Amino acid sequence: MNSYEPEAFATRSSRCGTGSASVLQTEKSALNREERYWQSQWHTARLGRRAWLAQLGGGFGALAAAQLLAEEAAPSGQNLHGGLHHPAKAKRVIQLFMNGGVSQMDTFDYKPELIKRHGENVDIGVTAAATSAPGSMMKSPFEWKQHGECGRWVTNVFPHMAGQVDRMAFLMAMASKTNVHGPGSYMQNTGFVLPGFPCVGAWISYGLGKLSDELPAFVVLPDHRGLPYNNTGNFSSGFLPAAHAGMTVRPNAPVPIAHIRAPEFAKQITSQSERASLDLLAKLNEKHLHDHPGDSRLDARMASYELAARLQLSAPAVLDLTQETAATQAAYGLDDDITAPFGRNCLIARRLIERGTRFVQVWSGMGGPSKNWDNHTDIPNELPFIAKQVDKPIAGILQDLAERGLLEDTLVIWTTEFGRMPFTQGATGRDHNGGSFVTWLAGAGIRGGVSHGSSDEFGYQAVEGKTWCYDLHATLLHLLGIDHTRLTFRHNGIDRRLTDVHGHVIPEILA
Amino acid sequence: MNCATRRDIDITSTSPKRKRRVLLAALICLAIPCANLSAANPIDFDREIAPLVAAKCLKCHGAAGPEAGLSLTSREAAFKILASGHAAIVPSNPEASELLRRVAASDPDVKMPPSGPALSAAEIALLRRWIMDGATWPEHWVYRPLVRPMIPNTSSAEEKSAIDRFIDLGLQQHRLNSAPEADRQTLYRRLSVDLHGLLPLPADVAAFVADSAPDAYETLVDRLLSDPRYGERQARHWMDLVHYAETHGHDQDRPRENAWPYRDYLIQAFNEDLPYGRFVEQQVAGDVLEPDHPWALVATGFLAAGPWDESSLRDIREDTLDRQIARYLDRDDIITTVMSTFTSTTVHCARCHDHKFDPIAQDDYYALQAVFAGTDKGQRTYDPDPQTAKRRLELAQQLAALPGRVSNRDAALLDAELQTRVAQWTVQLASAVKRWQPVDVQTVAAKQGSTLTRMDDGSYVSGGSRPETDIYECTASTELASITGWQLEVLSDPQLPMKGPGRQDNGNLHLNEVAVFLIDPAQPDAPRKLDIVSAEADFNQDGWTISHAIDGNAGSAWGIYPRVGETHRAVFRLKDRVPLPPGAQLRFELHQVHGRGHLIGRWRVQVTDDETPQLTAEEKLPSEVRAALIKTPADRTADDCLRLAAAFLEQQSKADLAKLPALQRVYTGSNRFEPDGGFRPTPQPRPIHVLKRGDVTQPLAQAQPGTLAMLAGLPSRFDPALTDDGPRRAALARWLTDPANGLTWRSIANRIWQQHFGRGLVDTPSDFGHLGSSPSHPELLDWMACEIRDRDRGLKSMHRLIVTSRTYRQQSQHREDAAAVDADNRWLWRMVRTRLDAETIRDSMLKLSESLDDRMGGPSVRQFIQTPGIHVTPNVDYANFDVDAPAFSRRSVYRFLFRTIPDPFMDAMDCPDASQLTPKRNESLTALQALATLNDKLLVRRASQLAERVMSKHDPVERQMIDVCQRLLLRDPRPDELTSFVNYVQQHGLGNFVRVLMNSNEFVFVD
Repeated sequence: MNSYEPEAFATRSSRCGTGSASVLQTEKSALNREERYWQSQWHTARLGRRAWLAQLGGGFGALAAAQLLAEEAAPSGQNLHGGLHHPAKAKRVIQLFMNGGVSQMDTFDYKPELIKRHGENVDIGVTAAATSAPGSMMKSPFEWKQHGECGRWVTNVFPHMAGQVDRMAFLMAMASKTNVHGPGSYMQNTGFVLPGFPCVGAWISYGLGKLSDELPAFVVLPDHRGLPYNNTGNFSSGFLPAAHAGMTVRPNAPVPIAHIRAPEFAKQITSQSERASLDLLAKLNEKHLHDHPGDSRLDARMASYELAARLQLSAPAVLDLTQETAATQAAYGLDDDITAPFGRNCLIARRLIERGTRFVQVWSGMGGPSKNWDNHTDIPNELPFIAKQVDKPIAGILQDLAERGLLEDTLVIWTTEFGRMPFTQGATGRDHNGGSFVTWLAGAGIRGGVSHGSSDEFGYQAVEGKTWCYDLHATLLHLLGIDHTRLTFRHNGIDRRLTDVHGHVIPEILA
Repeated sequence: MNCATRRDIDITSTSPKRKRRVLLAALICLAIPCANLSAANPIDFDREIAPLVAAKCLKCHGAAGPEAGLSLTSREAAFKILASGHAAIVPSNPEASELLRRVAASDPDVKMPPSGPALSAAEIALLRRWIMDGATWPEHWVYRPLVRPMIPNTSSAEEKSAIDRFIDLGLQQHRLNSAPEADRQTLYRRLSVDLHGLLPLPADVAAFVADSAPDAYETLVDRLLSDPRYGERQARHWMDLVHYAETHGHDQDRPRENAWPYRDYLIQAFNEDLPYGRFVEQQVAGDVLEPDHPWALVATGFLAAGPWDESSLRDIREDTLDRQIARYLDRDDIITTVMSTFTSTTVHCARCHDHKFDPIAQDDYYALQAVFAGTDKGQRTYDPDPQTAKRRLELAQQLAALPGRVSNRDAALLDAELQTRVAQWTVQLASAVKRWQPVDVQTVAAKQGSTLTRMDDGSYVSGGSRPETDIYECTASTELASITGWQLEVLSDPQLPMKGPGRQDNGNLHLNEVAVFLIDPAQPDAPRKLDIVSAEADFNQDGWTISHAIDGNAGSAWGIYPRVGETHRAVFRLKDRVPLPPGAQLRFELHQVHGRGHLIGRWRVQVTDDETPQLTAEEKLPSEVRAALIKTPADRTADDCLRLAAAFLEQQSKADLAKLPALQRVYTGSNRFEPDGGFRPTPQPRPIHVLKRGDVTQPLAQAQPGTLAMLAGLPSRFDPALTDDGPRRAALARWLTDPANGLTWRSIANRIWQQHFGRGLVDTPSDFGHLGSSPSHPELLDWMACEIRDRDRGLKSMHRLIVTSRTYRQQSQHREDAAAVDADNRWLWRMVRTRLDAETIRDSMLKLSESLDDRMGGPSVRQFIQTPGIHVTPNVDYANFDVDAPAFSRRSVYRFLFRTIPDPFMDAMDCPDASQLTPKRNESLTALQALATLNDKLLVRRASQLAERVMSKHDPVERQMIDVCQRLLLRDPRPDELTSFVNYVQQHGLGNFVRVLMNSNEFVFVD
C-alpha cells in the first residue's frame, strides 16, 4: 500500500473486509482462508441481527439497541461523504496534540512590540501567573522569518513546518478558560474543564460510527515516553458507551494494544487451538441463541467476536512499517533517533486513516514538568529540544497526505492546551497563559495560508477574532458533516454536547 | 452547561444512519404503551401527557425565561392568560385552547413545535381529549407528598406479595401475563449474581435443587442476605453511584492512601443493615451528628469520593483566578454527588441559571454551595476507639492552651513544684545545647551571584536578584581539635518569601548536594573531601529527604515544604573522627541546582566533636526557649521560667500523645483535615456568592446556606447562625432524611429495584425531574419508599421483598405475544436477562477455580506495578503485574481504583472510571471487550487453574469435561455436545476448554 487508491478503499469499506488481504501480504494464503471464514460468519450474523431487528422482538429499550448498532460499521460506502446533518468535507481527522502549552510567541505569533520592549517590566495587568510572579518582557530567543506565499512568520524552531504554511489556516487567538494543565487538557479534548466528559474522538465515533470493520473509529497514539496530563482521561468516552473510547496504541510496547493477543505465558493457546476455540464458541453460541430467541444482545455479542478477530488481523498490519519505502520513512524522520518516535506515530496515523479509522490523535509530550512543551525554566534550550522531535514528522505527514491525495478528505489539526506568558519566569522560562495561543488546521475543507484572529501587542491576550475550543470543535464537526448543536447525549438530566452551550463554526478558515 | 432538551435527539444521534433511524423509530413506538389500551380509562397525566409535553414543548417553554411567556412546567403557568390574550390551555374547552390550535396548525408561522417532528394525529387527539376531560394537571409526581398507597386487590386467587399485586395490576391493564417460575438452577444463579456478585458452586446449587422444604427458596435468600458477600456487592454498586476511586484524577493523579476505610464502612453498613436514613446522614455529616462514633466520621468519605484538582487547588498560586474557579467546581462536584445520589435531582443544572425545567432556582444551587463553603477534600485523622479520642482531645486542648498561658503569665506555670521538675528537665537538656560550636568564617561566595550578608548570629542571608540555581561555598576554621560531624541550620527570616527559610516563592529550598573539605595548611592546594556517612534533618518534605543531599545525585534534593516559616536543621555525620591540624580550614559547599529559585535564604554552619552527632529533642525547641535554656538558672528572667515551664509541659503532653494508639486516617470531606502543603482547612466557611452565568468574575448577592425550595413543608434555608462547616452539613443531612422529603425515599427505592431488574421503575435513576422518565409503577414506587422510610430498617428487608416476589422469580424467556404488546418489558411479563459485569466475571472465576481469597477489608490491593512517575502521577503498569500475585486473589471490590489509569479489562467491561457519577452502568458489547474476555491474562490464568483443579480430581477426560461444564454452566453436556467437547479437550487441553465456556453467552448472561 504505497499509493492511495480511492476506489480500492471504498470497496474495502463497503464489502466486508476484502481489503485486509492486500494489507497482510506476508501471510497471504493463510489469511485469505481466515478471511473467507470470517466473511461468511459475519455476513450470517449480520443478516441474523438485522432480520431480528426488523421483527422488533426482544425485551430491551431502543437505546440499548442503538448502543449495539453504534459498534457496527457504516453499512455501505455511499454515505461516506454524507455527514450526519449535512454533506461532509472531511472523512477523518488527525489531531496532533502538543502537550504542555506551546509558547506562541516563540513559534508562530510574531510580536515586534515584544522584541522592542525586551527586558522591560511592563504592567499588562498580571499580578500572578499560575506558578510564579511576573518577570520582565522576553522576546523570543529564536530567529523570525516570513515563509510561503502567505508570508507567515515562523521562528527557526520549525524549519520544516515553515515549508508547509501555505497549507495551514491559523487560529491566532485561541483562548482557554484555565491556566492549569489538567483542566486545560480536559477542556481542549472534551470541552469541559472537569473530568468525565467524552473527548472529541469519542463524540465523532458516537456520531458517525466506523468507516471500516477492521479498526476502531478512534485511535490514540500517546508520546512514546508516556501518557499526557490526565492520562487516559483525555481519550475517555466519558458517559458515552465504552465502544467510543479511544483505542490506545503503543507501537513500541511489547503488547501494542491491550488484549490484542493471548498472554505470553499461555503456551496452550496456539493459532490452531484458537481456530478450534472460536469454532466451538460459535457453535455453543448458535445453539444458545436458538434456545434464547428475541434478545439481540446474544447475537451482537457473537458478532463482537468476529469483529475482534478482524482487529487481530488488521492491527499488526497497520503497525508494520516495513511496508513503507525508505523515502517515506525518511520523510517522517524515521532515520533520525530524535524524530523517529513521533515520526513513527505520524506514519502509523496515516496508515490508520487509510484503513478506515475516523479520528487519530497523536501526542507529543507526556505529563509532568519536562519532556514536553511546558517550558517553565529555559525556553532557549527546552523548546528547541521538543520542537525538533515533531517538526520534520509533521511536515512529513502533511506532504505525504497531500501526495497521496488524502489531504483532500483528511483534516489535520495541530493544537495544545494553552499558550505561555510574554514575560519571563525565572531567568528564561515562561509560565502558563490561557489568554492566547495558536492552533492550525490543514487539509479537508480548510483554506490554506489564511489566519484568523490576533492577540495583543505582546501575545498575552486574544483581542480580535477570539476562538475557544468550542469553536474549533464546532468547525471540526461541521467539516465532518455534523451540526455541533444537534449531536447530544442525555446524561444525568442534561443533554450534553461536545460544545457545551457554546461554539460557532469559524467560516474565515474554511475553503 | 448544555441544556438543550430535544428528547428525540438522544435516539437519532445514537443511530445516525437513516436505516437505523427508521428501525429505531419503530422500536420506540412499540416501547410506548399503546394509547388505545387505556381508551376506556381516564387519561393519566404522568404517563401520557407529561412525557409528550416534555418531548415537544419544554425546550422553549420551560420554567426559566420561556418563549412568549408560556411555561408548561406547572398547572398555574400553563393555564394563565398570556400577553396575547389567549391561554394555552383552557380546561374543558379544546376550541379555546391555543396550544391545540398551534400543534394542529399547518401554517409554519403558527405551527408548534416550530422545528422537529410535528405531533401525530393520535397525540393531538390525546391532548384534545385530556383538555376536554378537564385538563387534570397534578403537581409533578416526585414533588407530591409521599403517602403510603393502598395495595391493589387483584383478581388472582393466590396469595401474593404486595409487589406482585402492584405488578399484576399493570400486567392486567395491558392484557399481559407473567411468566412461569424459573427452575431452581436458574433461580440460584440469578440470586447469587444479584446478591453476591458471584456465580454459585454446583454443589450448593444441587443442595438447593434437592431441598424439599416448602420455604427452601426463602431460606436460601436469607442465607445469601446474611452472608458478608452481600455487603461487598452492595458497596460496589454504591461506589459506582458516588464515583469513588482512590486517586485524585486530573493531571496530578495522586494516590489517596487512605480512601479505603470509606469502602470498608460501606461494606459494613450494608452487612449490618444500617437504617437507610442513618446511612444517608452519616455520609453527609456523620462526624458532626455522631461524634462518638468513629465509623460515622469515616462515612464522610462519601463527600470526597470524587476527583480533586490538586494543581488548581493546591499548587498554583492562591491569588489566581484559577484557584477560585477550582473551588467552586470542587464544591459543585460535592453538591452534585450529594443531590444526585440521595435525591435524584439535577441541581447542577442550576449553576448558571435557574433550572430550565424543574423548580430549582439558581439561588437554591448557591445555597447548597454555601452549605459546603467550608468543606474541602482531605485526609482526616480519627481514633477508632472513642476513649482514645477523648484522651487525645484533652491533651490537644492542654497543648493549645499553653501559648495563652505564657502570654497571660499564668501563675500556675511558676508553681514551685512544677518549676522543680522544669529545673531537672533543663539540666538534662542544657548539656546537649553546647555540643555544636560555631565556626569562624573566613570567606563566603555564591557561584551564581546571590549576595551573602553576614548577620549578628553568624548566619548569612542570601539576597540580590534571585538566580535559578546557586552553589554557596564557605571556608571556616574551628577551635576544635577534631570533628565528627557538622550541622547546617536554615533559618527563618521575615524578609524571605513566606518567611523562608528558602527563597522560592513558597518559602521552600532544595539542597541537592553538600560537601565538606579539609584544607591542610601543609597542602593548601589539595583539599581532602571528607566522607559523610549519614544525614538527619528535623523535617523532610515528602519525597525530598535529607539523604538526597548526600546521595551523589544532583537530581535529587532535600526540601522542607510545607514547613516553611520555621528554622530547620540538618546534621551530617562524618565517617571517621577527623583530626584538625593547627591552621586547618574547612570548606563547606551547598549545591542548590534544582532550579526555579529553590535557594537557601538564610543559613549557618556549626561543627561538633561529639561521639555521635545527631539531632536531639531539644533542637526542635523554639529559639527563645533554647535561649532560656542555655542561661544559668540564676540568669533566667520570669519570662524565661514561664517559657521553660510551658515547653516542659508541652513535651510532656506530646510524650503522652505519642503513647496513644496510632491515629487512623481517612480521606473525607470536612474542614478538619490535615494540611497538605499550602492547602489548609478554612477556619470559617468561605463567603459564597450567586454567580451570574456561573462566572466567578460576576458575583451577585451573597448566598445563605440552604437547599431546594421545591418541597412543601420543608424549610429551604438554614439558620444563618450556622457559621461552621459541620453544622451546615448536619442541617442538610436532616433535610435529606426528613420523612416529608419524598425525593430521598423514592430515590433509594428506585435504585434497589434497578439492581434487581436492570432498570428502575423510573428509568432515569438520578433524574426524577420533568425531563426524567415517569415511573412505570408510581404506586409501587411510593409503597416501597414508604416501607423504607417508615420501618426504619436497613435495606435488606426490601431486597428480600423483591427477590422473594413472583415477579422476580419468573423465567426470562422471550414470548412473541407479549413482546408484540410490550417489547420493552416495561410491565415485567418476564424476568430480565443481564450480562455479568467485570467484577462478577473475575471474582467468579476465582471462586470456581477455588482460588478466591475471601478476606475482607483493609488497604486496597494494587493489581499493577507502581513506580514513581516523572511528576506526581505514578507510572502504573497493569500488563507486567504478576498474574500469580496474591493481590489478584482478592475480590474486585478491594482493588485499588486508579482514576485516570483504569485497569484495561475492567474498562472494556464497562466498569466506570469514576470521573462521573454512574447511577447505571452501560452494558456495551464491543470487539475490544471480546478480546478482553479472551485474552485478559488473569482470566486466562484462572481458566488454567480451574482446569488443573478439575484434573487433580478426575482422571478420564470425559469426567473432567463434565466437571467443567457443571462448574461454569451448572449443567451436564448435552448428548450432541459430548463428542465435540471431548474431541476438543483431547486436542487442545482442558484449560482452553474452560476458556471457551467462559467466553460463551451461556456463561456471560444470567437468565
